[in-house]
Amino acid sequence: MRALLFLLVSAILLLLTACGTSTHVDEYRVSETRLPVKASEKIVIMGRRHAGEYETEPDFIDCIGNKLVTGGQVAVMPEQQFLDSLYPWFEPRTAPLGLKRMGGMMRDPLIATRIRKLGIRYMIWVDGNTETTEKNGGFSCGLAPGGGGCFGFASWDKNSNYEAIIWDLSKLDEKGRVKVDSKGSSYLLAIGAPIPFIAQVQGEACEGIGTRLQSFFSSASQSRE
Amino acid sequence: MMPMNKNPATRLVSSLLLLTIVLLSGCSTNVTVNGDYPSALTRKQPLHVGLVMDDQFSHYQFESTDDKQLPVTMALGESQVKLFSRVFADMFISTTTYNSPPAKNPALDLLIVPVVEEVQLATPFETKLNVYEVWIKYSLKVLDGNGQPIADWLMSSYGKTQSRFLKSDEEALNQATISALRDAGARLVLEFHRVPEVKRWLASRQADTQLSRSDIP
Repeated sequence: MRALLFLLVSAILLLLTACGTSTHVDEYRVSETRLPVKASEKIVIMGRRHAGEYETEPDFIDCIGNKLVTGGQVAVMPEQQFLDSLYPWFEPRTAPLGLKRMGGMMRDPLIATRIRKLGIRYMIWVDGNTETTEKNGGFSCGLAPGGGGCFGFASWDKNSNYEAIIWDLSKLDEKGRVKVDSKGSSYLLAIGAPIPFIAQVQGEACEGIGTRLQSFFSSASQSRE
Repeated sequence: MMPMNKNPATRLVSSLLLLTIVLLSGCSTNVTVNGDYPSALTRKQPLHVGLVMDDQFSHYQFESTDDKQLPVTMALGESQVKLFSRVFADMFISTTTYNSPPAKNPALDLLIVPVVEEVQLATPFETKLNVYEVWIKYSLKVLDGNGQPIADWLMSSYGKTQSRFLKSDEEALNQATISALRDAGARLVLEFHRVPEVKRWLASRQADTQLSRSDIP
């Protein structure tokens, strides 16, 4: 009995260690100096949604925004608020894919004035998604008059791949890029009750990209210190 | 009160029928599209426009007819009326809405009659993801104030569920349709004046205005 218990605990511990996530973050900076953000200025983080096969998840964009607000002491405008304020210029069909097009849009006083009024200094474009790359195993559940239960084992791998590009709208140039690649395996062990071991792949990617983006900016209060 | 004298077999059949109906309705997706559309950031064209949205347009309801799919009913009439009214009010200096085409009205520069030509839907079963995709094809009949046709513009729009963690199918379908309607609004604002026939009409109108201005001594 003890041996069985030991085996079960060992299996769970093994799974817990195996369901960890590996995250790799790369960055490119145009300059070593931090990007200044005045108290009246804001950053907007936008997801790329022009490709048919995938869309950068809005909740991932929110996650990065929260990371920047809590850690970097910079103001971040919610993506939907920006999209609505500049409708229809940043919809999936119309959003500028490069700085050249963005420059063309900023030459229109209607758009430039609205962006200035909103106080947007930096625009961060995030492109990528999280996908399930492999699924194995399976489990089944049953219900009988005496009770019910599940039995089986399932595993799946997830891969998050994102790139963030920072545009300075006052100078219309690129200030840097951050790329994150996060991988992890999740397991579901069912002996009676299903016990999930979920790898937080997207959460880790958000943590990685958000922390790195924080280090790009210096708020007005930080500059004074 | 009349006594119920149904025999047990009839009762059983009735109960089974009721249960089947309840179960079948539980399998279908019924959505009344409900969205808010932002004001468009655009310059108003100096035109007085009549927008005709008849009952068919304002009560438009899509029903999937594909036998392989679960039944989907989507009422998008009210929401598209909201979008078109908003966008046209932002595009032109004055917009009057009508339920049916008005008689010749020289006070109007343009009369626009939108019609839903086709709606297509890709369900999560087909996309293998927890997302819906919606395509809406509109035909916009553009006439001048005298009722003379200027253009018949076929405009299609596309939308997709963005968040994969929505609680229900209804919410996911609603989000995809709102996204398709926003796309339709974007195309109206950015492409209407580029439709070749409309562009020609606008150019000739501008020329006429300049000509009449030059006549003033």
